[in-house]
Amino acid sequence: MPHMSDIQKVIEIEVLRYNPETDKAPSSQVFEVPFTDDMSVLQGVQYIKDYLDGSLSFRWSCRMAICGSCGMMINGVPHLSCETFLRDYYPARVRVEALNHFPIERDLVINMEGFINKLESIQPYIIPKEPRTLAQGEYLQTPEQLNLYEQFSSCINCMLCYAACPQFGLNPDFIGPAATALLHRYNVDSRDGGKEERMDLVRSEEGVFHCTAVGYCSEVCPKHVDPANAVNQNKTNAAVDYFLRFVSPKGGAK
Amino acid sequence: METYKADVVIIGGGGAGLRAAIAVAELDPSLRIALVSKVYPMRSHTVAAEGGSAGVKLPTDKLDYHFNDTVAGGDWLCEQDVVEYFVAQCPVELTQMEHWGCPWSRTPDGHVNVRAFGGMKIERTWFAADKTGFHMLHTLFQTSIKYPSIKRFDEHFCVDLVVADGRVQGAVTIEIASGELTLIEARAAVIATGGAGRVFRENTNGGVVTGDGMALAYRHGVPLRDMEFVQYHPTCMPGTGLLFTEACRGEGGFLVNKDGYRYLQDYGLGPAEPTPRNKAMELGPRDRLSQAFWYEQQKGRTIDGPHGSVVHLDLRHLGEAKLRERLPQIYELAEQFLGVDPALAPIPVRPAVHYTMGGIMVDGLCASPLPGLYAAGECSSVGIHGANRLGSNSLSELCVFGKRAGEEAANFAKSVPPGHSAELLKQAQAVEQRVLGMVKKTGGNERIATLRKEMAQTMEDGCGIYRLADTMQKTCDKLDELKQRFKNVHIEDKSSVWNTEWLLAIELEYQLDVAQAMAYSALNRRESRGAHQRLDGFEARDDVNFLKHSQAHYVADGAPRIDYGPVKITKSQPGTRAYGAAGEKAEQERNASHV
Amino acid sequence: MSKRRPYVRPMDGWWRKNPYFVEYMIHEGTAFFVAAYAAVLLVGLVRLSQGEAAWNGWLHSLTSPWYVLFHLAALLAITYHTYTWFKIMPRTMPPVVVGGERLPAWAITGTGLAVAAAAGIGLLAFVWGMAR
Repeated sequence: MPHMSDIQKVIEIEVLRYNPETDKAPSSQVFEVPFTDDMSVLQGVQYIKDYLDGSLSFRWSCRMAICGSCGMMINGVPHLSCETFLRDYYPARVRVEALNHFPIERDLVINMEGFINKLESIQPYIIPKEPRTLAQGEYLQTPEQLNLYEQFSSCINCMLCYAACPQFGLNPDFIGPAATALLHRYNVDSRDGGKEERMDLVRSEEGVFHCTAVGYCSEVCPKHVDPANAVNQNKTNAAVDYFLRFVSPKGGAK
Repeated sequence: METYKADVVIIGGGGAGLRAAIAVAELDPSLRIALVSKVYPMRSHTVAAEGGSAGVKLPTDKLDYHFNDTVAGGDWLCEQDVVEYFVAQCPVELTQMEHWGCPWSRTPDGHVNVRAFGGMKIERTWFAADKTGFHMLHTLFQTSIKYPSIKRFDEHFCVDLVVADGRVQGAVTIEIASGELTLIEARAAVIATGGAGRVFRENTNGGVVTGDGMALAYRHGVPLRDMEFVQYHPTCMPGTGLLFTEACRGEGGFLVNKDGYRYLQDYGLGPAEPTPRNKAMELGPRDRLSQAFWYEQQKGRTIDGPHGSVVHLDLRHLGEAKLRERLPQIYELAEQFLGVDPALAPIPVRPAVHYTMGGIMVDGLCASPLPGLYAAGECSSVGIHGANRLGSNSLSELCVFGKRAGEEAANFAKSVPPGHSAELLKQAQAVEQRVLGMVKKTGGNERIATLRKEMAQTMEDGCGIYRLADTMQKTCDKLDELKQRFKNVHIEDKSSVWNTEWLLAIELEYQLDVAQAMAYSALNRRESRGAHQRLDGFEARDDVNFLKHSQAHYVADGAPRIDYGPVKITKSQPGTRAYGAAGEKAEQERNASHV
Repeated sequence: MSKRRPYVRPMDGWWRKNPYFVEYMIHEGTAFFVAAYAAVLLVGLVRLSQGEAAWNGWLHSLTSPWYVLFHLAALLAITYHTYTWFKIMPRTMPPVVVGGERLPAWAITGTGLAVAAAAGIGLLAFVWGMAR
């Protein structure tokens, strides 16, 4: 709760608005928002919706940087708005826009259907190397084996990395950082035997060779997933796979 | 209006809904499943669960121990036959999660590791660092992609169930992106929409946790059971209410007051020992810990902060390396949101609303009294949490009862014929008229945010950690008033695409119904049990009059009607609920008397 | 009829909008100097094959102020390219585990830069030794 008793600080929030039913193109609108030092940009945007303009649309839920809903461009940089604080911009104006490189449905809401299709295309589930019944109990997996993929399994699908990837912006078909990180997560899981099936996508037209190692995706990742690493490891994997096919007719994936 | 013909419709795409969908798909791949979620499934609030998921694992543990902890933790308001089924299924389902790829934390030899949790006699909480819910949700979501019979309706908001011939035959949804409505025909429905913690002011819950499914069932005559039992989690961030997992204490964290004193020893939870002892001190159950905070506050032994009184969660003695390994998310939350390095300074915490023990009344097969309607997860009251849930039981519940609800719904769907499409469409069109009317209506003057704030405040005032008849009555009156004022609500946004103001209004209406069920159930329970504690002459548990479930029945335009149902007791007679040294003594006496 | 009309923002001038992208473009731009320097060496090789006169002519042309300027610029650009190349290197490799611990990014970058510096100095010493 803001303490109104102290001298109330007010910050200007500039929001990129777009209503497909009335606007030809997006345009900016500035709101004056009273704030306290512990308020996030998300809370600032919520204040606008609650008290200044009920028609402002944006996604949010958990408020604690784990649900992945509230990614926005904040002063041109992709951030989760729930863990970005207004105090870090004050007294200057802060500019809030929908995530770059995605079509805008309305205001701060992007169309993420393309991302979901990519996620579905990578077979993001265990294809067992050795099937096991429940009665046989769990697969054994050492902490070292877990460590190989755990980082890539931490992706919250917030898509900040896509907003940071100019190659995705230039070619929306590129499978992109997060989906590749998740693909890699399953490929290097000791329980999984589906690498060969996933490699077709890795080396395909939409695959990893779109990446030019800008590396900004990993910079903006709020969960230290390092998707650039997954993409670039798979360039090597695809290349090895390519050359091994001259040695063995089945290629290098096994 | 578009129509989609399914066999089973599942409303809610969190842990329970996804598990239910997979269960239907595995049981019979020919059944068409519609999985409706108002957010993309991986945004569901399961994602925020941190500490872990309970299931007997160690050779020293027994299903009976898990049963006893759960029933006593719930202050004997549990359905004991259901708890027995639950504890037996937990290890099976958690192993299933392992086979699906959940990155459980491991012991050096590669087995799944377990940690201590509040109210649990033996370490049995499976965990994936401190992001267990996140990993379980993403594992379930990604696994669900494997099944072609699951048709997802992502970002579709359910506005009503369609009931015909005395059974559920579908659901009506708004596609949020277009604002257009869809009728989903189905021969059975599973509600898995999660809790309703957002009706309270300070809570750990995400914005989506608005009790939608509870209200949907309730309005169709299904009772909401045990709604007065609302869990306060003892260690939350002041102001925002964000959660610091119980695993902080499971790993050995201390709770201290302004004098640096581990005050829990003053509330029957001692003795205070340097390392955690199960079911004692910081590893006591959540209701007791939150209540102890309240008393410390009364005694003036808490610390004043900008968002009210706090105590300190002290993790410093665990060291940075262990904190980074076991509690990485907690570490970052403390640093980013509070500017506190938990390896160097204690974290200020206070209780906040966390979980609704009650919900849609269902039997052990997840079936509600309305034929064809099933429920699982936090929105349901299947009877395992009683008056107080033990931490880490609810993630297991999602799996165990998500699966069961899915299978039961599938079997029901196969046993009944499809409905009459024309009649169902007629009903759906009436729903469409009603919900579109909310947007078209002009002349209202009540702001959604104002009503929501007043609701949240009155719930905190009347239905907090300790309760009094007169403040509960005020809350009931206030909610009646808010429901009247809601009729005059004003929606500024008249557009169709992504009109979230419209959805907020519908959610608020759901919340007001659920809040009423909570407040009236609380007012009527004239005893203290678990999370429902009174200070107005009903401080003791009253097994003679209140060892029974409350059932709130919806009354259109009026106060809910409250009645009571029996509690199933099989092998654990109600006893004294004691923790710490007192608890161990009581257990020895019980064991001796059984010989 | 759906009222959805998703708006696609243009990508024009994308690289000017973020300092990170500007740095990336400079990094990519410096690759030109790597190629150009290789071309210069290649010409020298061709000249060498054409006899002593041609070779001396090539050597002489290198002493022109323009060529000296080009070489200074190339040195700067390639140094920058080397630095940014090793900076991104940890992101492109599988994890390197030493003694059960994962090698941190700075160690990989540092090793790369150290090896590059050592190779550069080594080559310089070798050429200087030959010339003496």
